[in-house]
Amino acid sequence: MFIQGLTDEYVDYLKDESRLIGYAEGICFPESEAQVQEVVRGAWQKDMPLTFQGARTGITAGAVPKGGWILNLSRMNRIRALRLDEAVGAFRLTVEPGILLCDLQRRLEETAFDTADWDEESLKALARFRESGPHFFSPDPTETTASLGGMAACNASGARSFRYQSMRAHVRGLRVVTQRGEVLSMRRGELVADHGEFSMHSEQGTVFTGRLPGGVPPKVSKCAAGYFLDPSMDLTDLFIGAEGTLGVITEITVGLLPLPKTIWGVMIFLPEESAAWRFIQEVRALQGKGGADLLAAVEYFDGSALNLLRGIHGGGMDDLPVLKERWNSAVYVEYHGEEEPLEQALEELCGCMERYGLQDEDAWIADHPRERERMRLFRHAVPETVNGLIAERKKMHPGLTKLGTDMAVPDERLEEMMRMYREDLNRSGLESVIFGHIGNNHVHVNIIPRDPGEYEAGKRLYLNWAARVVDWGGTVSAEHGIGKLKAPFLKLMVGESELREWMALKRVFDPKELFNPGNLFGV
Amino acid sequence: MHIVVCIKQVPDTSDVKINPETNTLIREGVVSIINPFDENAVEAALVLKEKLGAKVTVMTMGPPQAESALRETIALGVDDVVLLSDRAFAGSDTWATSYALGKGIAHLEERPDLILFGKQAIDGDTAQVGPGVAEFLNLPIITYVRKVEVEGQLAKVERVFEDGYERMEAELPLVLTVLKEMNVPRMASLRGRMKAKKAEIKKWTAAEIGADPENTGLAGSPTKVVKIFSPPKKVGGIKIEGTAALDAARTVVGKLKEQKVI
Repeated sequence: MFIQGLTDEYVDYLKDESRLIGYAEGICFPESEAQVQEVVRGAWQKDMPLTFQGARTGITAGAVPKGGWILNLSRMNRIRALRLDEAVGAFRLTVEPGILLCDLQRRLEETAFDTADWDEESLKALARFRESGPHFFSPDPTETTASLGGMAACNASGARSFRYQSMRAHVRGLRVVTQRGEVLSMRRGELVADHGEFSMHSEQGTVFTGRLPGGVPPKVSKCAAGYFLDPSMDLTDLFIGAEGTLGVITEITVGLLPLPKTIWGVMIFLPEESAAWRFIQEVRALQGKGGADLLAAVEYFDGSALNLLRGIHGGGMDDLPVLKERWNSAVYVEYHGEEEPLEQALEELCGCMERYGLQDEDAWIADHPRERERMRLFRHAVPETVNGLIAERKKMHPGLTKLGTDMAVPDERLEEMMRMYREDLNRSGLESVIFGHIGNNHVHVNIIPRDPGEYEAGKRLYLNWAARVVDWGGTVSAEHGIGKLKAPFLKLMVGESELREWMALKRVFDPKELFNPGNLFGV
Repeated sequence: MHIVVCIKQVPDTSDVKINPETNTLIREGVVSIINPFDENAVEAALVLKEKLGAKVTVMTMGPPQAESALRETIALGVDDVVLLSDRAFAGSDTWATSYALGKGIAHLEERPDLILFGKQAIDGDTAQVGPGVAEFLNLPIITYVRKVEVEGQLAKVERVFEDGYERMEAELPLVLTVLKEMNVPRMASLRGRMKAKKAEIKKWTAAEIGADPENTGLAGSPTKVVKIFSPPKKVGGIKIEGTAALDAARTVVGKLKEQKVI
């Protein structure tokens, strides 16, 4: 057995980016699926809870243990195979769950893989891959040191998910180790639920059957709030976004996309937030006109976010151009495609700007890599600065953390949601910034409390907002997942009786409730 | 007011790799960019334009592909661009380049009040062309400028030294070379980018600007490059191994004393 006691050298593994600190009796770092099976079998025999960990970059405490053993997958980080799906002409890459997104991205960029263990078919596919021009893996959470296993477990996404959708859309197959160390192997399209009934065979021959809970899923384009459920769903989807509550992912096959020929980023500054919200909807409506389907990302920064950036000139942000005083919000749009239709899309964008009375200097464009990198730094400076502020305030009040929302609503509720945030925040006097993936009606409100009183006030606001968002048919988590921290919000969204059905579904795979205790269902 | 900015298209050295066998630059796939200090000069001109309502002209001497650098400056908001391009200019050193740019500027319809350069180019690092042009045009020059304000016919300038700076005033017309700390270059505007794509680029030959063939290109270049070589690799210091920490620390202190560092 590989379990080591949780001595001092492992204390870092008791926490993740949520900063919540858990507890555990032991930890192991399996290097193969067989070793994972052995650990899960051992845990079954000893009734030992298991917490699965990837790179611990999550911010909802999904990887923070609540007793038992930690099963850390960071040493399972190989790229195992490459295939060309001839039918659709797409490349598929099979990876272990511990591989980091940044490592995968670099390998794809350089088309350099460690092929020592690759089979003949993979090597052949690699030769074709190198002739086929650059490819990329589209899910792009800001944190590129995330692991692929973690990204699948919480159905991660990012700015470009506006066009390319979340992780779920790119997972073509999974291997999952579930109760007693049995293995479920799935390939998209091979096994679907039938009128809400499902039946799966493990490689060891056990049959897992059950009925999927009913309920109405949120009407949003992005969701990372627990189980994906649909009466005729592909069963691969059951394990994506399940946050390790049904088993541990040991292998993922993902789809790759050809890199667009041209990528242009445009940052548009507007004098008023409410104008920006309307502007965004117009830009979104341009999508698809004239056969163009080029819009890859639509992001938002409120006036406070711009103020934050105005305040950090010189602090590593020397490359940031001056932000004019009259700008009070910013919208970032990114276009992917061929040069000519892109030019046309930009003409349409210019037309839209004219209708809003914007001037030439109110829109920046980045059309080559150096400029795009400048714009990327600009966008990432906002959350980083917020984290810096919180760290500073934590010195005075150790109990403070950032209160960050991750909710999304249906298209028609966008303005209402933004107005709710703005009015409540103004009334409360709390310091905050709003930014994020507004194209998907999904923004992050970051409340930056100055003291414990404000922290509590912020939490109350958050709970009120969650209730409203649920009323509107939205989701309490669009991309961060539920983990342990947002379990109360999930309960609010799904309802207690349906959550009991979810638990019954979990028990089909995990009858002793050993896998990732606390995730989705709370402690 | 008319401001002329001279720029140079250079290889993006942050992107350059050296062939370890031949010790030469791998030029393949290296993108060309506007010399970063020249971007600061363009920005300085645009800031003055916004304040004082000036006209900004950007000029470069280079092969036909240097046109793309000029288009980039149109996207930033400059009014006019000129490309000095002619086989006769090929192989120019800093003297011949200064001569050609001087001729080009003299050929402009509107006399410039201010001529801006980046402090130097990141490929050659000579910092000679700005002063050279000033000399050919018989204009005063202030180098290493980090701040400039213009009031009427007077420029108020801060010139940086290693250990401080001096405030200077000079009457226009005037030549300045600027530092990176002068400003943060703006990003191209969306509409500027669209305008730039369609813009007509003025191209002038050596004959058009009245440059004497004796003074242009290789023939007009007094500098002869005798040899290009990579500087010798630094020898990596001394490793103190196999001793206890305290002994190792003593050895280090001894060596530092030997070298009179401490």
